[in-house]
Amino acid sequence: MLAIFLLYVSVAGGTPSIQPSQLPGHKGDVALVGKVSGSPAGDAHADGLRFRIRDVSGATSVPVVYTGSVPDLFRVGREVRVEGKLRDGVFIAKRDSLRTKCPSKYVAKKT
Amino acid sequence: MPELGRAALVLCLGLALYALLAGGYAAARRKRRLARSAQNALFAVFASAVVASIVLLAALLRRDFSFTYVAEHTSRRLPTPYTISAFWGGQEGSLLLWLLVLAGLSTLAVLLARRTAADLIPWVVPVLALVASFFAFMLVAVSSPFATQSAPADGGGLNPSLQNPYMMIHPPCLYLGYVGLTIPFAFAMGALLSRRTDELWIVATRRWTLFAWTALGIGQLLGAHWAYVEVGWGGYYAWDPVENAALMPWLAATAFLHSVMIQEKRGMLKVWNVLLVALAFCLALLGTFLTRSGVVSSIHSFTQSPLGGWFLGFICLVAIGSLALILNRLPLLRSKTRMESLVSREASFLYNNLLLVALCLTILWGVIFPILTEAVRGEQITVGAPYYNFFLRIFGLPLLLLMGIGPLVAWRRASLRSLGRSFAWPAGIALGVGVVLLLLGAGSSWIGLLAYTFSAFVIGSIGYEFVRGTRARKALAGGPWLLAFSELVSRNRRRYGGYIVHAAIVLLAIGVAGSSAYDKVGERTLSPGQSMSVGNYSLTYNRLVQRQGANATEVRAILDVRKEGNRIGKLQSGKNHYPAEDQNSNEVGIRTDYLTGEDLFVITDQINPNGTIAFKVLVKPLVNLIWLAGVVFLIGSLVALWPNAVEQRRLADRYRELRAYARA
Repeated sequence: MLAIFLLYVSVAGGTPSIQPSQLPGHKGDVALVGKVSGSPAGDAHADGLRFRIRDVSGATSVPVVYTGSVPDLFRVGREVRVEGKLRDGVFIAKRDSLRTKCPSKYVAKKT
Repeated sequence: MPELGRAALVLCLGLALYALLAGGYAAARRKRRLARSAQNALFAVFASAVVASIVLLAALLRRDFSFTYVAEHTSRRLPTPYTISAFWGGQEGSLLLWLLVLAGLSTLAVLLARRTAADLIPWVVPVLALVASFFAFMLVAVSSPFATQSAPADGGGLNPSLQNPYMMIHPPCLYLGYVGLTIPFAFAMGALLSRRTDELWIVATRRWTLFAWTALGIGQLLGAHWAYVEVGWGGYYAWDPVENAALMPWLAATAFLHSVMIQEKRGMLKVWNVLLVALAFCLALLGTFLTRSGVVSSIHSFTQSPLGGWFLGFICLVAIGSLALILNRLPLLRSKTRMESLVSREASFLYNNLLLVALCLTILWGVIFPILTEAVRGEQITVGAPYYNFFLRIFGLPLLLLMGIGPLVAWRRASLRSLGRSFAWPAGIALGVGVVLLLLGAGSSWIGLLAYTFSAFVIGSIGYEFVRGTRARKALAGGPWLLAFSELVSRNRRRYGGYIVHAAIVLLAIGVAGSSAYDKVGERTLSPGQSMSVGNYSLTYNRLVQRQGANATEVRAILDVRKEGNRIGKLQSGKNHYPAEDQNSNEVGIRTDYLTGEDLFVITDQINPNGTIAFKVLVKPLVNLIWLAGVVFLIGSLVALWPNAVEQRRLADRYRELRAYARA
C-alpha cells in the first residue's frame, strides 16, 4: 500500500498553488490564488469573463480569461482560486475551475 | 447577562482543572473520596456549561446585538430557527457547543459505567477533565462568545448557505460524533493509566464508539445532502478539507469498531486498538479545528487564526502523551494468541483495518500536503480530486470486496471446502450481475462495473448469511420463517446490525458509482421558449418569475420537462438574493424519479440582463441510493446499539469474568 502511495505521489505530484507575483517561471498548469480586482466584464458563458487577480497583499496582478460557472460569492475584493496557465501575458483559466475562497464554510463574512 | 455567561465559563474552567488535578492525584494515590470529589466536579462542569449555553441562546433569541457574537451571526430579519442555529454558526458558539456536549456525554458515560467499570473511572475522569479544561480555556481566554460591544441597529446576518434546515441538524450531529469519540479515548487512556489492559475498556465503551461513529456518519451524509441541494454545483462531496475533516475520524473509528472485535474474541491487536482510538480522537480534534478555521490554506492560517496555535499544541500534546503512555505500557499489551492463518475471519478484519487506515492516512496527507510543501519549498502544492478519487478506488474497491468475503470466512482457520461452499452463491450472483450489466452497456466505466459487481457480491454474501442463520434458527426453534428471522436478529443484534450497515455501505457505493461514473451533463444558454436536451430528458425554458421571500428576493426560471417525449411536469430553478447579507445563492431545481433513484438537476448558472439564462443540467442516475443508504445505515446502527435482555446478561457475565481476571 505504501508502494502504491509513493508511486502515485511521485508520478502525479500536485498542482502548485501560487499568487500572481510568483507566476513568471511557471510553464505548466497552476492554481492561481489571489484577490479579484479590475472590473469584471464579459460573459463567462460566451467568449469569457475578463478580470484581474492580484496578490492577496501586494500590487502585482495578472489579467484572467475565464469560462464556465461563476460562484455566487465571486466579487471584486474576494479571494479566489482558478486553475490554468499563462499564455502571452494572459492567464487562460480552465473551464469551471473558479472557486471562491471562503474564510470558512461556516463563518460569516468579517470584513 | 454577558457577565453571567463569562462567570459560568470561568467556573467551568476552574472545575475542569480541579477534576484534572485532584482526579489525577486521587487516582495515582488511590484516594477514593478525592476521586469522588473530582468526579462530581466533572458533573458540575456540565451544569455550568448549561448555564453559559442558556445565556447565549437567550441573547440570540432576544437578538441582543450588544453581544458581538449575536450581532455577527444574526439579523432582525433572520427567521427564529436559523437564529437558534446561529449558536453553532460561528466559532465561539460552536466551541461552547463542544464543551456542553463533552461535559454532558462525560457525565452520562461516567454515571453509566460507575459500577461496571469502577476500576477505570478514577483515571477516566481526569482524562475527560483534561479535554474539558482545554475547551473551557479556549472559551475563557481565546475565543469568548460573551464579548460585548455597543449594540448596532442590525446584525450582519447569517451566511445564506447556512440558512437551510440541514444546518439545524448537520453541525450538531457532527459535533456529537467528534465529541463522542472522546469517551472511548478517555476509557482507553484510563485503562492504560490504571494498568487494566484487558478488554474492560472496550466492553464498557462499545456503545459509545458506535454512537459517535453513527452520529459522524449521519452528520456527513446530511452535510453531503445539504451540499447537493443547497450549494448547487451538482455534487455532494468535493474532497474539501472541511469535509475530509469528518471523514478521517470516521474511517479511523470504522477500523477501530472492527479491530476491537478481534481483541474481544481472540485477545489480539491490543496495541493496535489503543493506537487507533488515539488516532481517531486526534483526528476528531483536527476535524473540529479544520471546520472552525476553515481550510488549512497555509501555514499562516495557524498563526492568523487565534485558535490555530492552541489547537495544534493540544493535538500534539494528546498525540505525544498517548503515544508515550502506550509505549510505557507496551509490556502489558502483549497478546496471548497469534494469528493462525491468513485465510480466517480475523485476517480479513486485519486487511480491512489496513485498508481503512491507509485510506484515512492518504486523505490526511492530501489535507496537510499544501502546508508541508509550503514549509519545505516555500511554495504550496495542492492535490485535488484526482488524488483522492484514485485512492478511494485503490483502497475502497478492495474494502468493498472484503465486506463480502469477511462474513463468509470462519474464525481461526478456514478450510478450502467450507470456503467453496459458502462462496458459491454470492460469487455466482456477482458474476451473473456483472455479465448482465456488461450486456446492458455498463462497461463504459470499468470502475463502475467493478463496483457494481463487488456490490452484488456483498449483497449476495449478506443475504446468504441471513438465510443461513434464519434456516439454522428455524431448525432449532421451529415456528414460522418471519419469527425465526426476527429471533435471529434480536439474539445477535451486533452481528446482524453490522450486516445491515454493510448493506448501507453497498447502497452508498452503488449510488456514488452510478452518479459519478454514468452521469450526463449539458450546458446551454436559452431564451424563453427555447429547449435543450440531456440524456433522455428535454427541457424548455418557459418564463422567469420573481417573488419576495421572508428574507430574500427569489428569482425562478420555470421549465417544462419532458422525458422520452412525454411531458412529466414543471421544474423551478433560480437564485435568491439576500439583502441583509448582500449575497446571492443558487437555488437548484431537482426532479427525483423515485422508481429508478435518478435525479434531474437543473442549475441556473447565470441570468443575463437580456432575459437569457445559462443553464447547466445534470442527469444523475441512482444518486438517491446515497440518501437511502443513510436511512439503512441508521437502522443498522440502531439495531446494533439497541440494548436487549440477552445481551445485557451476556455483558454482565463478561464484566464478572473480567473482574475475576483482574483479581487473579
